[in-house]
Amino acid sequence: MSLMPSMTPQVQSHGAGFSGMTIEAGSKDTPKLPKRMSPALAEAALLVASYGSYGLIWLDSDLAVTRRFGPLVDFAKIGAPITDSVLALIGLEDEMRALSSKPGRILELPAVGVATPEGDSKRLNFSILWQKGLKSLLILVYRVASQTGLEIELSRQIRARLMAESETTAKSKELARANADLESFAGIISHDLKGPMRHMRRLAQQLAADPSTEHDTGLRQRLSEIEIQSQRMSHMLSALLDYSSLGRKYEALEEVDSQTLIASIIQSLPKTGIVVQLDGIWPRLTTLATLLDLILRNLIDNALKHHDRLNGMITVSCADQPHYLIITVSDDGPGIDPKHHGSVFLPFRTLAESSVHHGAGMGLAMVKKTVDAAGGSITLSSDPAQSRGTVFMVSWPKCILT
Amino acid sequence: MISRKVMLLGEIGVGKSSLARRLVFDKFEFDYKPTIGVDVYRYAVPDSPTRPQMTLIVWDTDGNFGEAIFRHVYMKEAAAALIIGDLSRPPTLDSMARLGAGFSEMFPGRHIGYVVNKTDLVTDPEAMPLPAELTRPGNFLIRTSAKTGAHVADAFNDAASSIARRGL
Repeated sequence: MSLMPSMTPQVQSHGAGFSGMTIEAGSKDTPKLPKRMSPALAEAALLVASYGSYGLIWLDSDLAVTRRFGPLVDFAKIGAPITDSVLALIGLEDEMRALSSKPGRILELPAVGVATPEGDSKRLNFSILWQKGLKSLLILVYRVASQTGLEIELSRQIRARLMAESETTAKSKELARANADLESFAGIISHDLKGPMRHMRRLAQQLAADPSTEHDTGLRQRLSEIEIQSQRMSHMLSALLDYSSLGRKYEALEEVDSQTLIASIIQSLPKTGIVVQLDGIWPRLTTLATLLDLILRNLIDNALKHHDRLNGMITVSCADQPHYLIITVSDDGPGIDPKHHGSVFLPFRTLAESSVHHGAGMGLAMVKKTVDAAGGSITLSSDPAQSRGTVFMVSWPKCILT
Repeated sequence: MISRKVMLLGEIGVGKSSLARRLVFDKFEFDYKPTIGVDVYRYAVPDSPTRPQMTLIVWDTDGNFGEAIFRHVYMKEAAAALIIGDLSRPPTLDSMARLGAGFSEMFPGRHIGYVVNKTDLVTDPEAMPLPAELTRPGNFLIRTSAKTGAHVADAFNDAASSIARRGL
């Protein structure tokens, strides 16, 4: 804080030595001072008046109050140590005394609360300096201009914001921890259950190979069913393991030619009566190539697996939008009843009859999880009551933050 | 009787003023009034055979100071700092660790008391995780509630005992 004069303050005298004095700072006329006032005190009064809202306290070498001036300083008791009335000065006695050897230096204590006899707390700025003319220590006292309702309101709002942020951070951490626990749990369960499942399947196979069961057709059939179901369970566990680890895998961004990528996927498909046709503009982009491959492969695989005819058509197309690739996979299969649209993306949900050949029902769940994690979205359009076929539309972000 | 200066440090809204007012006036005000600048309180530490008679001059500082407080004249002659955090706001507990490190670097050998306040807002205060820097062996760590008054005087009395033991 600097000692800057304010606009023309008017000063009414209070306290010892100033009875009846009125000074208007900045006025053209020289203030008329009582004759009994010493020139040094008059000088101080003028000085104080020129600084605006004020109080003034004089201290002796023991830092006891010898005089006071102004309406803001009635807390200072004449003859008592200043530290009794301004607790914030306790510990600063040496600093205050040192000011006499450093004229011009000012010790500032901003916004100090001072207890008053009424019990309320004035908040004042203190500027302590050695007044050369008076040869004594002076404390200039200012009311804190910043202690306004606005500042208090701002502090309240800052506090409210900090508390809200804190709550959000805590909840986010809790959610992240819960997600991590869930992924870890799914990973452990699926990994650890595969061992006993393999063992069970081996036992069923050994029993089926036993010559004593050769003529028991019913038993053989049930053993075969155990083998099929345990194999299905193994597939489900593998799929669950893959699904749970999706979020944990670190995938690097790489430049990829999406045309080449989709062409290689189609190339690798088994040859059937279902034709897979490519459409649209497939650009080069820097993306999570492995995950894009996973999505395309699963969507096409899903369309192939659930097609109900020997011959059909799957169209995979891409539109290069400013921020997204809009990828659609449409087929002319049986379609999906709208009542199932909400559940097809859930793990282990398959609308086909349970069978090893139809997989574990994790494909679309993995697609959804992957698209969501990348910041994209996926929608499904199909209504068999109107027409055959299903369209999956993926909005895949072109800019991905990892 | 000797007087010693104790600073209350911590983020805005952790309850520094509430602790000081509970200590000195045995009151708790529900209406939040932010401290602007500094309030100073005098607390006569109860007599004890383990320490001399002592008055603590408790400096309740504006939470907006942050770590800049260490460069302020307000810190001069501080014998101890009570660093306050809000148990219901974990980021304020991380700030405690930073303020503690800053204080011990600027004022080596002085008492530091870590005061985890607002225990009344959580169901199991002892079970709440705290930053490792606060729970190191040898640290003065205390859980308080300015609202109920729980352990508030203990935090200051411990500081007085530590000041006496260290000859500060």
